[in-house]
Amino acid sequence: MRRSRGWERSGRLVVGLALALLVGYPLVRLVLAAFADGPEPVLATFERSGIARAVGNTVWTSAAVTAAAVALGTAGALTIERGAVPARRWLRAGLLLPLLVPPFVAALGWTAGYGPGGVLDDAVGVAVPQLYGPVGVITVITVNAVPLAYLIVAGALRGRAEPDLERAARVSGASVRTALWTITLPLLRPALGASAVVVFVFSVNSFGVPAVLGTPAGFETMTTVIYQNLAFAADPDAFTRVLVLAVALVLVAVGAVAVSDAVAAGGRVRRTGGPAGTTSAHVTTQGRWAAAVAWGYVGATSLVPLVALVLLALTRAVGLPPAPRYWTLQNFADAVDGRTLSSLGHSLLLAAVAATLLVCLGGLVAALERSPAARRLGTLATMTFALPGSALAVAVLLAYGSVLADTLAIILVAYLGKLWALGHRPLAAAVDRLPGDVHRAARASGAGPATTLITVVAPLLSPALAAGWVLVFLFAFHELTMSALLYGPGTATLGVAVLNLQQLGDTPATAALAILLTAGVLVGAAPLLVFRGTWSRLRRVD
Amino acid sequence: MRTLTGRLVQILLAVVLVACGGTPGEATDSSPTTAVAQRGGAAGTIRLYTSVTQDTVDAVLQGFQSSNPDVKAEVFRAPTGELNARLAAEQRSGGVKADVLWLTDPLSMYAYDEQDLLAEWTPNGAEAIPEQFRTERFWGTRILNLVIVHRQGLQPAPTGWQDLADDAYSEPVAFPDPAFAGSSFAALGYFALDEEFGFDYYRALRANGAVEVQAPDEVITGVAEGRFSAGMSLDKSVRDAAEEGAPIELVWPEPGAIALYSPIAVIRSTTNEEAAQALASFVLTEPAQAAIASTGWQPVLPGVEGPPMPTDAEQVFPDWEAAFGRQDELLSEYRSSLGD
Repeated sequence: MRRSRGWERSGRLVVGLALALLVGYPLVRLVLAAFADGPEPVLATFERSGIARAVGNTVWTSAAVTAAAVALGTAGALTIERGAVPARRWLRAGLLLPLLVPPFVAALGWTAGYGPGGVLDDAVGVAVPQLYGPVGVITVITVNAVPLAYLIVAGALRGRAEPDLERAARVSGASVRTALWTITLPLLRPALGASAVVVFVFSVNSFGVPAVLGTPAGFETMTTVIYQNLAFAADPDAFTRVLVLAVALVLVAVGAVAVSDAVAAGGRVRRTGGPAGTTSAHVTTQGRWAAAVAWGYVGATSLVPLVALVLLALTRAVGLPPAPRYWTLQNFADAVDGRTLSSLGHSLLLAAVAATLLVCLGGLVAALERSPAARRLGTLATMTFALPGSALAVAVLLAYGSVLADTLAIILVAYLGKLWALGHRPLAAAVDRLPGDVHRAARASGAGPATTLITVVAPLLSPALAAGWVLVFLFAFHELTMSALLYGPGTATLGVAVLNLQQLGDTPATAALAILLTAGVLVGAAPLLVFRGTWSRLRRVD
Repeated sequence: MRTLTGRLVQILLAVVLVACGGTPGEATDSSPTTAVAQRGGAAGTIRLYTSVTQDTVDAVLQGFQSSNPDVKAEVFRAPTGELNARLAAEQRSGGVKADVLWLTDPLSMYAYDEQDLLAEWTPNGAEAIPEQFRTERFWGTRILNLVIVHRQGLQPAPTGWQDLADDAYSEPVAFPDPAFAGSSFAALGYFALDEEFGFDYYRALRANGAVEVQAPDEVITGVAEGRFSAGMSLDKSVRDAAEEGAPIELVWPEPGAIALYSPIAVIRSTTNEEAAQALASFVLTEPAQAAIASTGWQPVLPGVEGPPMPTDAEQVFPDWEAAFGRQDELLSEYRSSLGD
C-alpha cells in the first residue's frame, strides 16, 4: 500500500510538472504581458465599439456549433458503432473525412462547392447565399467539429457502454427509444460532456472559417478581431489588445468547461457490467436507411467541398469552368518544392512526438487514482486549447524564447500546451468509468503498476487512446499559426510552407497542397486501419 | 515503483531530445562555411525578418549570397500579423534577434521607427528612390499598386475608383477589409485623407452594396467566379491570375492606382552592422531590383524595367505620415461610415 502511494505521488509530480511547464507558466507570462501597462489598456479594450458584439457572436455561434456537432456526432456514433449498418468501416471513414482536410481550406472548399459561381451553381444552378454570414460560419465549423464529437463518443461507446444493459432493457420490453434515453445516453454522459467541451473550445478559437465566411457579411468574432489587431500589432496598444482578447477567450472557454463539469458531475455512473461486447453483425432495413442518411450527410458536407477543391486544384486559374480543356497538374507542381518536403518531415516528427507524449501523459493520468484534482487538471489543460495560436506562441516565446528559440523543441512545447486537452479529454471521459475492481484485482494478484497499466488499463482504454493520438496528430500536423511564428533556421514546418504559398495568392496551388496533404494522411492512415483490424481480430481470439 | 516512473521520465526525455536535438544539428552540418573568399568585406551570419512574399525574398537573397559569399543570411518569413507578434514577444524578452527588417507596407515600420528599433542609417543609393517611397531610416524596395479588377467583358467597364460606387453592376463590388492588413489599410489611408473622396466615398460604396472581404486575393477569386462584378486588389496578383487564364481584367484606375512601398531597414541592435548594411543596400542595386521585377512587382528604382503598366499610368499615395498614429481613429470612422 505504501509502495503504491509512493508511485502515485511521483506520477502526480510528473503530470503536475508537465502542466506547470506547458500550460501554467506560459499562461502566467501571457497574463502578465497583457497587464504590463496596468489595467487601463485592458479595460479600454472592452470599451471599444464592436468588441462586445464580437464576444457575443463568438459565444452564441460556439453554443450553436456545440449543440449541433455533439448531436450529429453522437447520432453518427450510435448509428455506426451500434446500429446494424452496412459497410460500417467506410461510413466511419467518411464521417471522419473533415478531420483530414486541413482547416485552412475548409472554407475554400465550401465556397467553391456551394457559393455563387461554385461547382453546384455551375452544374445545376444551386447556390447557397447564406453561406456568407452566421449560418455559413456555424454550418462549416459544425461539420469540421462533428468528427471530434464522433471520436470521443465512439471511443466511449466501444470501450465502455454496455450492450448487455441495453439488451436487458429491450428484452424487458423497453422500446429502442426508451433504451437510448434511459440506458445508453446516461452511460455516455461523461463522453458527451467531454465532446461538448472540446467542440465548444474548438469553435471558440476557429479563425479561418469566420474570416472568410463572416467578413463579407460584417460578422465579426473574437478571433477575427484578434487577427485584425495582430495586423497592427507593431503598435503596442494593438498588441496589448491581442493579449487581452486572448485571455478573454480563455475565460469564455473556462466558463464553458465549468458548466460542462457541473453537468457531468451530477450524473456520474459507475460501470456495472463486463467489458463491452461486439456490435450486431447482421444488417437490418432500418440500418440501411440510417446508413443512407449518414451517406447523404457525408456527401453533402465532405464530398461536395472535396470535389470542389480537387476541381479547383486541377483547373488552370480561378473562375474557369472545371472543364477538361482547362485542366493542368501545374498547381500540384507549384505546391511542392524542396522546402515543402523538408518541412513535411518536421511536421510529421513533431506531430507524432506530440501525440505520443500527450497520450502517455493522458495514460499516466488514467493510471492515477481518479480524483477532483484530476478534474481540475482537465480544466487547466483546456485553457491553452482555447488560446488562439498567435497568443499561445507569444506566451511560449515569452516563457522559453531565451533558451529554446529557433529549435523544434519550442514548437513542440507550443503543440503540447495547445493540444493537451485533445489528448486528455477523450481519455478522461473513458477513465471516468474504468472499472476500479479490475485494476484492484490485477494489483491484488501481484501485478505491478507497469503490468497493470499495460495488461489491464491500456487495453480497456485503447479506443480512447487511439482517438486521442489521432486527434493530436492531425491537429499538430495541420497547425499553421504557432509554427509560422516560432520556427527558426532549419526548423520550418508544414504550416510555414502553407502560409508562404497562401500569401503568394495562388488559390489553385493552395487547394492543390491541401489535396496532397489530405491524400497523404489517408495513405498514411491506411496501414493503421489494417493494423487495427488485425489487432481487434487478435483480441477477439482471446 | 520508482523504477517505472524513472523509466517513463527517461523515455519522455529521450523522445524530446531526439526530436529537438536531431534536426537543427543536421541543418548546420550540411552547410560548411569554410571557404573564405575576401569579397566586399562583410562576413558572418545575419538574420532577416520579413513579410515579403517568399519568391521575391528568394530571388533577392540568391543574388545577395552570390555577391556576398561570406555572409550567411538566415530568413524568418511570416505574414505581417505573425511577424509583428514575434517581434513584440522578442522586444519583451531579451531583445529583437533580427538584423534587417523587410516589411510589406510602411505602417508597421513607422511604429518600429517610433520605438527606436531602427538604425540611423540610409544607403547611398537611396536618393534615387522617389521621395514618397522613403524616409530617413527606412526606404522602399518594391511598389504594390492597388488597382481595379473586373469580370471579363463587364459593361460598362469601370475606369476609376468613383465608378465602383455606381450602381451599374449586377453583382456587388468587393474590396479588402482595411482592418486585416496594412496593404489594404493603404486604401483607407488614401481615400479617407483625400479631399475628393473622404469617408463619403465609403458611404457611397456601401449604399451601392459593396462587400468587404478578408484579403485582396479573395477579391480576385470572387470576381473570377462571378460573385463580384468588380473590386480592388493588388496589380501583381491580378496580372498573375489573368495570365493563367482567369476571366478577369485589370483596370488602371482614375485618378491613379494607390501605390504603397515595401520598406527595408537595419535594426539598431544588430551585432553585425556591416553585413546587415550590405544586405539592406543590396536591395537597391540593379540586380536586386531586376530580381524583384522578375517576381511580378514594380521595382522602386525608376530606371529598372518592371512589369507591364499602361503608358502614363498615374499613381496616388496615402499620406503615411498623416495616417500613422491615427489607424484606430480612421478604422473606427470607416466602420461607422459603413453603418456597421
